[in-house]
Amino acid sequence: MSKILIIILFIVQSGLLFSADKNQLVKDQCYICHESVGSTEADLYKKDIHFKMGISCSACHGGDDMSDDMDKAMSKAAGYKGVPKGNEITQACVKCHASSEMMKKFGAKIPTNQFELLKASVHGRLALDGTQRIVQCITCHNAHGIVEVTNPASPVYPTNIPGTCGKCHSNPAYMRSYNPSLPVDQLSKYRTSVHGMRNAKGDPKPAQCESCHGSHGILPVKDPRSSVYPTNVPATCSHCHSNAEYMKSYNIPTDQFAKYSKSVHGIALLQKHDVSAPACNSCHGNHAATPPGIESISKVCGSCHALNAELFSSSPHKKAFDNLKLPECQTCHSNHLIITATDKLLGVSPDAVCSRCHLQNKSPKGYYVAKEMRHMIDSLESSEKNAMNLIQTAEQKGMEIAEAKFKLKDAKQARLEAKTMVHSFDEAKFNEVVDKGLKVTSAVKIEGADAIHEFYFRRIGLGISVAMISFLALVLYLYIRRIERKRK
Amino acid sequence: MVFDLDKPVRKNRRDFLKYFLGAGLLGFLSSIFYPLFSYLKPPVQGEVEVTSVSAGKLSDFAKDSGKIIRFGKKPVILIRSANGELRALSAVCTHLGCTVQYRKDLELIWCACHNGKYDINGRNISGPPPRPLDPYTVIVKGDEIFISKIS
Amino acid sequence: MKNFWKKLYDWVNERVQLDDLVKFMGKKYVPVHRHSIWYYFGGVSLFFFVIQVVTGILLLFYYKGSSDLAFESVQFIMAKVQFGWLVRSIHAWSANLFILSVFVHMFSVYFEKAYRKPREITWVTGMLMFFMCLGFGFSGYLLPWNTLSFFATKVGTDITGAVPVIGEPLKIFIRGGEDVNGATLSRLFGFHVALFPGIFTILLAVHLILIQRQGISEPMHFKEKNPSEKKTMPFFPNFILRDLLLWLLVLNLLAVLAVFFPADLGHKADPFSSAPAGIKPEWYFLFMFQSLKYFPSHIFFAEGETVGILLFGAAGILWLLVPFWDMKSSRGERNRFINYLGLFAVMFIIILTFLGWRS
Repeated sequence: MSKILIIILFIVQSGLLFSADKNQLVKDQCYICHESVGSTEADLYKKDIHFKMGISCSACHGGDDMSDDMDKAMSKAAGYKGVPKGNEITQACVKCHASSEMMKKFGAKIPTNQFELLKASVHGRLALDGTQRIVQCITCHNAHGIVEVTNPASPVYPTNIPGTCGKCHSNPAYMRSYNPSLPVDQLSKYRTSVHGMRNAKGDPKPAQCESCHGSHGILPVKDPRSSVYPTNVPATCSHCHSNAEYMKSYNIPTDQFAKYSKSVHGIALLQKHDVSAPACNSCHGNHAATPPGIESISKVCGSCHALNAELFSSSPHKKAFDNLKLPECQTCHSNHLIITATDKLLGVSPDAVCSRCHLQNKSPKGYYVAKEMRHMIDSLESSEKNAMNLIQTAEQKGMEIAEAKFKLKDAKQARLEAKTMVHSFDEAKFNEVVDKGLKVTSAVKIEGADAIHEFYFRRIGLGISVAMISFLALVLYLYIRRIERKRK
Repeated sequence: MVFDLDKPVRKNRRDFLKYFLGAGLLGFLSSIFYPLFSYLKPPVQGEVEVTSVSAGKLSDFAKDSGKIIRFGKKPVILIRSANGELRALSAVCTHLGCTVQYRKDLELIWCACHNGKYDINGRNISGPPPRPLDPYTVIVKGDEIFISKIS
Repeated sequence: MKNFWKKLYDWVNERVQLDDLVKFMGKKYVPVHRHSIWYYFGGVSLFFFVIQVVTGILLLFYYKGSSDLAFESVQFIMAKVQFGWLVRSIHAWSANLFILSVFVHMFSVYFEKAYRKPREITWVTGMLMFFMCLGFGFSGYLLPWNTLSFFATKVGTDITGAVPVIGEPLKIFIRGGEDVNGATLSRLFGFHVALFPGIFTILLAVHLILIQRQGISEPMHFKEKNPSEKKTMPFFPNFILRDLLLWLLVLNLLAVLAVFFPADLGHKADPFSSAPAGIKPEWYFLFMFQSLKYFPSHIFFAEGETVGILLFGAAGILWLLVPFWDMKSSRGERNRFINYLGLFAVMFIIILTFLGWRS
């Protein structure tokens, strides 16, 4: 029996002699033996990049890789560790992969901070059993058939990543044991998105889990340092979507982030850190990221701008826009470069949006309504300005005008409401709101004018009183003089 | 003779001066009494509005409704819930400062600007508002409702 | 018209013998000399006091003395009540001018040594009224309950608390508690509109009765002259009418000040905010406040501030009792020391007020 073994071994050894891996033949007795007995791990290891680099099994498992005596090679004395368990696994990888000298020795141009990142990440927390981290290196990278990330066979090659992550993250029972409120439908949603569909077809360029969430240092969404925390989302998306070179083959614009940064939403989120402002995912979705369809734009915007959306949907514009395949809110307000909607948007002047469709001769009714509405809101604005001027003049003159100033807030409110009511495109409703504001401004104007009038009244009154008093004083003086002259 | 001539002239002069004195005195008194009486006349507003504001009569205030009251320089929303309880909260939305309103159909407080929602205790439950609304104290004396700041 | 007045006079005379009083008053005279002009300041002070009482009563119609209402009620007076701004502004200006006038009156009496025998009590009641004026000013200042008045009261009562032994209980008594709050306002309001006016009226009555009874004080050199050389004028009607004329001019001044420099409202007091930078008391307390700043933090075993306060207290008492220790003037002799002391006091007050205002 052993004779046959020896012959087989000899043949194998000679075979190996003529194989390219001369180093392996000389050094790694572990591999030679295990491969010869047909171990799956050894089989897998054949394709492993570590194998190609000449790294022995003992690098992770310990033991003496020069000895062909199993007992000697796999003895504790020789440093044999067996199959590493729990955190030992990652430790085995980290031994080399965290050392830049080691990496240089093998000519590997990969980073060495993976473990540090993992420790700080959400995956670096303790697993259910409390003895090891949730994730070890091999969870995503495999144990024995590890290939480069750029190799399509790698489980962390872009087209494979969704499946790799989905192994745990699409498993409701598994995820429930860690965070019951965390959704598990990301993968299925992802497959409905453009990113997911192209990824499924084998395109490594579109975003997959790692593109947005990171690889080793994945933090929870609620952590402000996370790449998918609301204030960081636009930068994360623009990583690809603003890169013209990268996006060349896809024929979509790459100016969204630039535009968004200048918009009201962008300024609110990125400069004022108002996390209630929409980021890319608020309108496009996260995993099922797709631009909203033409008919659903007002619903998407309406998740915050509820009143405007409701008014629009019940207005004559809804049907008209849908028929003309015009994107609802976007047509007038733009999608990424949404700036503060001023009164200039309304009306029939060249820079107003209404006149794009409603020309005087082509759609006179719309033209008339647009013109009227602009006129009304302009009159409200100028009335409010007048009232404010009067108030400020009265204030500067030192008159007490705090109450009227407060009332003016209602006028501002009315203008806000009017701007919203524009979306009903109904002249009567619009005028109702504007009239409310005009009532306030005229009342305030009266109060302001009264205060200024009072200012002058006081001075005139003073003049009269001083005149009377001085007159009396003068007469009294003369009287005194007369009395004293008489007495003399 | 001289004496005689003197007397009448003097008398006229005295009368003249005394007449002016009387007129001057009258003018002076009127410039005192006119403002005085105007001051004592009750002004149109009646009473000073204070850190305790009267919010109208309880009997005028329907159940399950809300109204905005002026409190000094700020708006306050007064709500009477369906079971009759009164609550007063600051009506300034904690997101960007718009004035909120009570929505009977939703049975909660709503901000029209960005769809922010608060429950009737003022807690921010949906939308952009980051903080709850500040509460005010409601006191009912007889039939009159008073709102005052929480001390 | 003349008949009517005569009839009225007769009716009253039959019941209270007015004739005696009229004869007595008719004899009253005012000495006329180089320094006669200072005699008017007593009357002017009285005029200001009457203005304060009248405008004060008018303000009472609309002012509300609790901490939630005070500020708003003053705002109400300024904005909503007809001529409310006028009444309040006159009250505020007249208060300042009143205190200025009593300073002048007090110093002119001092330099004329009119406090000498037999007028010691007149001086004492006058000085007590002077201190009460400052008390009126202090208590009234808090009533609008704005930021400045709140912190001025806080600082002022803090200084009171620095007096040894009685300071702390006195501070709590004035404040109505440990801190300045609504209780302080109620208390100072009570002082300002009830207690102080009551006491002041009694003192004023005594002061005026004494003046009527004893006549106007003559300067010391008058006694060297014989009666025919002494220039005088009758109190009724000459001096009274002249006084009235001056009062009319003062009234003019008040009206102009009230219209062109109406009383400030400021912001409602917020006890939780920090004191405004450079907080200082009203001008009539400024000289004391400023001089306290120059005291070193410790003098021997005592705190500098306490020594300062005690010094002022001692000075005040000495000043109050000057008729009793100035023997020379009582004898009718010239007392240069009194003049120098007075000059020092005046200069001290003026210079330190100026320094305090500029800091």
